Amino acid sequence: MSKSQKDFKLSEEGLAFVKKELTRYETKRSAILPCVYRVQKENGGWVSPEAVSYLSKIMDIPTAYINEVLSFYTMYNKSPVGKLHIQVCCNLSCAMNGGRELAEHLCESFNVKEGEVSANDEVTISRVECLGACDIAPMAQVNDKYIGPLKKETVVEEMKTLLEEK
Amino acid sequence: MSKKIIKCEINNQEVEVPEGTSIIEAFKELDQSIAHYCWHPGLSVAGVCRLCMVDIEGIPKLQIACNTEVKEGMKISNQSEKVKEAVKWGLEFHLINHPLDCPICDQAGECELQEQYMNFGQYSPNMAERKVKKRKVVDLGSKIVLDTERCILCSRCVRFTDEVSKTHELGIFNRGDRSEIGIFKDKPLENEYAVNTVDICPVGALTSKDFRFRQRVWYLKTADSICTGCSTGCNIKIDYNEEGLFRVQPRYNKEVNGYWMCDKGREVYRLPNKEGRLLEAKAPSSYSFKREDSLRPSRAGGNPVSSVEVLKKIRELFVKKEKAPQSALVLTAQYTVEEYEDLVSFFIKHLGTQQDIYYWRNNPESFDDFDGVLLRGDKNPNTKGLLEVLTNQGAIHSWESLQNRLKQKEIEVLWVAGPENQKVYPDLKEKIDTFESYCDNIIWWTAHPLSDSQKIWQIPTKTFFEKEGTLINHTGRAQKVKAVHQLVSSALSLSESATVLKGEELKKQEPPFLVTPMKTNHFTYKKKVL
Repeated sequence: MSKSQKDFKLSEEGLAFVKKELTRYETKRSAILPCVYRVQKENGGWVSPEAVSYLSKIMDIPTAYINEVLSFYTMYNKSPVGKLHIQVCCNLSCAMNGGRELAEHLCESFNVKEGEVSANDEVTISRVECLGACDIAPMAQVNDKYIGPLKKETVVEEMKTLLEEK
Repeated sequence: MSKKIIKCEINNQEVEVPEGTSIIEAFKELDQSIAHYCWHPGLSVAGVCRLCMVDIEGIPKLQIACNTEVKEGMKISNQSEKVKEAVKWGLEFHLINHPLDCPICDQAGECELQEQYMNFGQYSPNMAERKVKKRKVVDLGSKIVLDTERCILCSRCVRFTDEVSKTHELGIFNRGDRSEIGIFKDKPLENEYAVNTVDICPVGALTSKDFRFRQRVWYLKTADSICTGCSTGCNIKIDYNEEGLFRVQPRYNKEVNGYWMCDKGREVYRLPNKEGRLLEAKAPSSYSFKREDSLRPSRAGGNPVSSVEVLKKIRELFVKKEKAPQSALVLTAQYTVEEYEDLVSFFIKHLGTQQDIYYWRNNPESFDDFDGVLLRGDKNPNTKGLLEVLTNQGAIHSWESLQNRLKQKEIEVLWVAGPENQKVYPDLKEKIDTFESYCDNIIWWTAHPLSDSQKIWQIPTKTFFEKEGTLINHTGRAQKVKAVHQLVSSALSLSESATVLKGEELKKQEPPFLVTPMKTNHFTYKKKVL
């Protein structure tokens, strides 16, 4: 299931962010959501158990509480993802415009199974439900950007350019 | 300021409760039955099981009794068809992903899910969907095993680790029908109170490693007792049958332990069990038997020598003398007040003076420790009781004076009422060595044999499960233990030993109280079908 990681530490700004979030809400537990998200961002797109332990220490909140939040939401990744995390929408509008075929096509071209990391940690492709951008269907969320409408013919090229930019 | 008392009506029965009482507490006050899983009197209100539905006059929808306060003049009922229907369907939802593996489940027989199913079950389930498979036999630590499939997510255990033990190991992870309780990988459920979660688990999700699969609960009887693990004196119930004792669970006492007890205390059931007990009195190996001696070990299957015979011999040797030999009495705080009184008064009358009585205090470094919940450093159930008896007799003396007297070979006979729970006497070995090297005649009352000691007369004593008496806890509260079942037939209490040593006959013992295990299943199936 969850892979292990050696060590994780937040950056200076990250620590300041956590400190600020802790004072922002009535209870400390409310700050878990934004703080875990910050950790995910700084940890290459996923939250490792080690990162949870680390966060628990700096927030002074039991690990079980953080893990409750972490395991509840699917937008936290519990296992490593590639440099590009391509989340292809397969809900109604996108599916009608070929979203599911697009996801399959991407998996085939990058030679990777859904949800797994391709060679050289390049991409992770996963299917998601509606991202609220039906106007650009079929679309995908690549890391934290929305991209669409996507075409089967050009999508792989597009992703490769994005990868180079990384 | 005392709270205002308000009146309400529950199932047409009037009840008066203080303001702020929840409806479910009022039900409990009246001893009325109400289905519930997540509510526990010792924990906060979660309101997640939705089973304690009640009908309140004037409110169109059903309300949950655990999270609704009683108000003046409320008319509450849980007998209506509407409530029964709601509970029935609530239960059905709980069972959607419950594996119903009662035949192999250790909780069977004391499972609240089973109990409520007898009352509200549908008997032909309406669910056609597949059950969600989850993790079974999850190791939560050295004491507890978790079965996530059986869990109905009442969150009692999670609230326990948050509110009572304050260790926060447990949480509810994942979402929807995949939700399950669990621990975060680096923090197992290892706190001193962890096994309480097993007691409060209404189903077979959390089971104790120590007890699981050792006995079906319907083959056990329950007796009330007092924990002898430390000076807190938690009220306990002990499950036992002919084969011995199997487990200890806390019994509610608001003044002493509330609803909980510590895990160390749960081990006291091992003390009275026959394994490891001293089954017969032992004479020292140096004692030379004469031909006509009643203690002569019989070669071919003769009756074993009873403790009474051995004590009579001891009386001949050390008590029934013209001039009593110089004796000293050492007492540990592990016996009852009555025993101390009898033994001390015998000692003063026949053997010595108040100056010759000593109190053996174990682990003095951690003696006054307290973990803030229940566990105390004084690992004796009756320190207060012993000190009271000794003070009344004017017999408090420092241990050093005994050591000095021993070293000067002043003491000819040493009488020791040794610890029942030897584990909590780390200095046991050291003390035995000191005694043995300075005194030739030692009589030692003990429930468990003293390993590697050949020079001591050992008299088997009754454990807290086998005798009646009073234990006084750290607050000075006197609590009674009852004689439930004698496991070692030759064991004598200190009082009985004193009687024999005085030369009197023991009162005829009542025939050993044998427990007939419960062999019939008391659950009756209401619909006559399974």
